[in-house]
Amino acid sequence: MLAALALLCVVFASQSEFFLSERNFTTILRNSVDLAVICAGMTIVIILGGIDVSVGGIVAVSAVLIGRAYQLGMPDWVVVPVGLAAGALLGALNGAIISKSRVPPIVATLGTMYIYIAVLFLVIGGVWISGLPNTLSFLVLGDAFGVPSGVFVIGAVYVFSWLLLRWTPWGQRVVAIGCDEVAARLNGIRVDRTKIQAYALLGVFAGIAAILYVARLRNVEVNIGTNIALEAIAATILGGANIRGGVGSLIGTLMGVVFIKMTQNGLVLIGVSSLWETVVIGALLIIVLILDSLETRRTS
Amino acid sequence: MKDPLTQRLLFLCGLLVAAFIAGSLLSSHFLQASTVGYLLQYVPVLGVLGMAQTLVMLSGGPGIDLSIGATMSLVGLAIAGLFGLGVPLLVACLIGLVIGGVLGAVNAFLVCVMRVPSLMGTLATFFAYSGLALALTGGSPIGGIPEWFGVLSQGRFLGVPIHMWVVFVPLAVGLHVMLSMTRFGAHIYAAGNDERAAFLSGVNVWRLRFTLYCLSGVIAALAAIMTLSWFQAARPDAGEGMELLSVTIAVLGGAHIFGGIGRISGTVLAVLIVTTLQVALQLANISQAWQLAAIGILLIGSVMADNAVGDKLRARARRAAS
Repeated sequence: MLAALALLCVVFASQSEFFLSERNFTTILRNSVDLAVICAGMTIVIILGGIDVSVGGIVAVSAVLIGRAYQLGMPDWVVVPVGLAAGALLGALNGAIISKSRVPPIVATLGTMYIYIAVLFLVIGGVWISGLPNTLSFLVLGDAFGVPSGVFVIGAVYVFSWLLLRWTPWGQRVVAIGCDEVAARLNGIRVDRTKIQAYALLGVFAGIAAILYVARLRNVEVNIGTNIALEAIAATILGGANIRGGVGSLIGTLMGVVFIKMTQNGLVLIGVSSLWETVVIGALLIIVLILDSLETRRTS
Repeated sequence: MKDPLTQRLLFLCGLLVAAFIAGSLLSSHFLQASTVGYLLQYVPVLGVLGMAQTLVMLSGGPGIDLSIGATMSLVGLAIAGLFGLGVPLLVACLIGLVIGGVLGAVNAFLVCVMRVPSLMGTLATFFAYSGLALALTGGSPIGGIPEWFGVLSQGRFLGVPIHMWVVFVPLAVGLHVMLSMTRFGAHIYAAGNDERAAFLSGVNVWRLRFTLYCLSGVIAALAAIMTLSWFQAARPDAGEGMELLSVTIAVLGGAHIFGGIGRISGTVLAVLIVTTLQVALQLANISQAWQLAAIGILLIGSVMADNAVGDKLRARARRAAS
């Protein structure tokens, strides 16, 4: 993955001298913050053996609630918890449906995606929410000690997730469920509860992403969050997580995010229409999946 | 004890009646003869996609084709593009069917040869195909399809749209016969029920699934042709959202997401239910948002109901055994 990133840098740098500039890297970073935060949660859910295609919907609902709260003149210390709570609630709902009624995660979250998008439309009414205050913009656009603040946000989320996953009993339970759910259940792990918690955590991260999104752009679009789920899943898989569960790496995921965002940025810089983005990401994903399966076949 | 699939079909019939009642309560325009024609206009495209999804799911694996809508968009553009280059339209349609098969074969290669989980593999091709459809056209539709071609989707015979007669009904009957009366169909169920047992009894499980993914691509091309005839233009986002809708329809129709269980008749009923709801909400001038929410609730609810019924049957069987 590192090699692929380096190769990508070389290719884009040779085509555009602007690519390697400090300013451009800051831009890439700023554009990746929301996706990176979501991907930390997605990695945990995929390690658990699940998947969530409704994260885009959660981001959308959280963002629109944040926007409405701001419009009602509420201060930051009310707005932020509202966004996080909305995310946690919707995430927990996903988890509850998946664990209590045994609907497969892809189907359940597909269904909730429809529902969340419906909620978005009903709240937003087809018009952008714009002109929101910039009191939180420092989280994405500011910098501290000469380092862009996005680094700290991503760092905090990833260190937290890593500690949670590798150094707590909860993290071990997640991996155990991802490896073999039945065995985990027989070993006395409360599978349902852990699942709900994991999906809720992803929801909280989606809530954070919504806050960052609003802080960065200061508006809420009608089509917010449409591509986030697919990008997040792609980044996580590119980063080496196994879609069958049990295996995944947060660092790898982070590299996957950088890879996707760098590709998007680089393509624009070398003058390729942004419409080709999805084609390139899709093609990359296909290549990685093939390489992956060749690798598995050789080792087994 | 009744066969659970028959129960499912009865449940779906009940749901369809409920949808009709809901429709007539929602809108005074709903209970008219013209509504039926209007409704049937929407059925074939969604219906054939739902059937393709059902087939892919039936063979197990677990199988799913998330690229089905993107394939449909891309094939539509290819046909319109070829026609623009001077290829006769009917020939272009034939080429389109082949392209659909090839796009399906890419999925098949990823899933059945490379053994990438179907969800991931077809998600990747979904990206690639829908991206290509947008990138190649710059986002604008390709028009210029001649009037006469519209007869397929806009013409009527006995008040029923022609594409119902020549595409939807024959395909549904054909697939039903294939699943219930041929060896190939029996193999599909065997592969979906117990991959290992099917393999040990001589079914080439992965070749079978390969065929079904290709078939799904060809059926998506059929949907593209019908859409082309309907709108007289190929839009790069023609199949957007169809992947989710087709999964919804297949699951609602009783196809089990892990394979082995399901019938084409269930899928047909499910597509009727979904379109009835959509048309009713449209006629009642209720916002699109509610249509989305209704589909979402229907999807989750139908799987939940399915599980609950399964549990009850299993419990009853256990009680009978003890």
